Amino acid sequence: MSGETLFLKNSETFAESMVRCGVRYHFAYPITPATEVMNRSAVILPEYGGRMVQMESELAVANALAGCACTGKLGATSTSGPGMALMQETVSFMAAGELPCIMLDAMRVGPGDGDIVGAQSDYYLATRGGGHGDYRVIVLAPDSGQEIVDIMPDAVRLAYTYRTPVLFVIDGVTVQMTESAVFPETNNYAEEYDTSSWSFTGTKDHDKRFLLTGSYSHTQGEEMNDRLRKKYTQIVTQEQRWEEEALEDTEVLVVAFGIHGRMARDLVSRMRAQGKKVGCIRPITLWPFPDNAFEDLPTSIKSVLVVEMNHGQMVDDVRLALNGRLPVHFLGKTGGDMPMCTLAEMEAKANSLLED
Amino acid sequence: MKNLESLYGDTLNLDKLFSYCPGCGHGIVTRLVAETIESFGIRERSVSVVGIGCGGFSHHYMEIDAIEAMHGRSPSVAVGYKTAMPENIVFTYQGDGDMGAIGLSDLLHAANKGMPITCLMINNSLFGMTGGQMSPTSLDGQVTTTTPNGRDVVQHGFPLRVPELLRDMAGVKFLARESVADMKSVRHAAKSIQKAFDCQIKGLGFSFIEIIVPCPTGLNMKVKESYEWCADQALEYFKPQIFKDEME
Repeated sequence: MSGETLFLKNSETFAESMVRCGVRYHFAYPITPATEVMNRSAVILPEYGGRMVQMESELAVANALAGCACTGKLGATSTSGPGMALMQETVSFMAAGELPCIMLDAMRVGPGDGDIVGAQSDYYLATRGGGHGDYRVIVLAPDSGQEIVDIMPDAVRLAYTYRTPVLFVIDGVTVQMTESAVFPETNNYAEEYDTSSWSFTGTKDHDKRFLLTGSYSHTQGEEMNDRLRKKYTQIVTQEQRWEEEALEDTEVLVVAFGIHGRMARDLVSRMRAQGKKVGCIRPITLWPFPDNAFEDLPTSIKSVLVVEMNHGQMVDDVRLALNGRLPVHFLGKTGGDMPMCTLAEMEAKANSLLED
Repeated sequence: MKNLESLYGDTLNLDKLFSYCPGCGHGIVTRLVAETIESFGIRERSVSVVGIGCGGFSHHYMEIDAIEAMHGRSPSVAVGYKTAMPENIVFTYQGDGDMGAIGLSDLLHAANKGMPITCLMINNSLFGMTGGQMSPTSLDGQVTTTTPNGRDVVQHGFPLRVPELLRDMAGVKFLARESVADMKSVRHAAKSIQKAFDCQIKGLGFSFIEIIVPCPTGLNMKVKESYEWCADQALEYFKPQIFKDEME
């Protein structure tokens, strides 16, 4: 693969990647562990003719992002759980107004102020819409700096194709990890999309347009929801992404995303080397959840183990996908000096399930 | 012969039926804004960011692009828009509830950024659309549906003078309080709205005008009475003035 290899914190990789793929306006407010994204974008965006705009709160961030999106240009934000929660009214607004943007929730321990160490505590917040109303946003969960880089062009494509916010959720451990990533040639993917049919650039370009997410008649609210539902059905059908490993003849299937998904790969190679039949599925899109990955599982599977950096959130979606076909077990941890399950704990749990 | 169309040009949409109540001050302010846009020839690059409340209707009467923002957030939306599209003219049109209550923080920080956008706060001293509740600008003693015995400043705090909060901000280049209480006031308000837009067109900085208007429905008054109340009582506390004119 040709390109430039950079050794960066993954938060900085996120900033580099989004800017190299076409984000020109980044609205943000400092919050651990997402702050390095804005630190870096503040430095590099002017080189690309863009700007990092530091706002006074995440409320203002989200609304400035919405204003930017109204022009058809690509904006982004980066935050963590408390900031993400504050933004939700406007995420709902952008979903309703069909405004594209890129968002990052670098997840830390919640609820409340919680803790600044990494977690996967915002799975529900991210995948259930998050704000008021019947909507979803596309949720991507890369497990490494390289995957952030690899998936970013697709994130831009998803944002414009479906005219929707695209939300990255990355646990704070992965976000703060420093590792190498190979960046392909810089390309402004956002420029490839024609936004003239919907953007609010002034009547020099079109007849009067206005962004309405409310209703002047009751039918408008219904029509908006019908329109969104059609779009979401299309996304569920076409945009599920996951990675799977060693499923054939597997007896215990491990399901995990982010850092635990990455560890699940290690677990599989370690246990396979011992002749133990363990495989894994790592969801990359959390919404749409990769239900298709669970459709034609090998009959050898006896049980499923879901591992998360929380007390059990994605496990609900795994249960829904399996619809009672297999027993589902859970291993999770959140907070502390080691805010996640260790590989040894995952191995011990998988061994106990193999022996069942 | 002069007709309305020749007077107002393309900006004011004369075909659209008004949603404002009879006598509502919004009608006058909306016309003044449309006249300003027309006079500067900026209709095709003007974008209105409206709030939630009766002020949200304003864009329906203008042939310009518009964004109906979430309650109180118009200044932040305008900041984001202007960042991405500085060549366009962006203004917010909000009520005193939208801007002075839920959206005060957005206004203060947008003003302090000094970005060339224009914010208009149409102050009718109450929440009009929801049925006449107390707003931060309701007068001492004013009867509203949530202050049936009149606003008690000990209990509810004092009527908020919003432009006074922006006076010391260096990025604010034009700052005024106007009213539509009588013809003379309307003519004065028209001049200030012109200046506020001119401030943005020239890229000088942030511009803001509070415009005191009556809401006959919310005040539960006849139209004439409501204008008298506006002139006598509202303007006694909210004194019209140009706080800042740094246009040179």
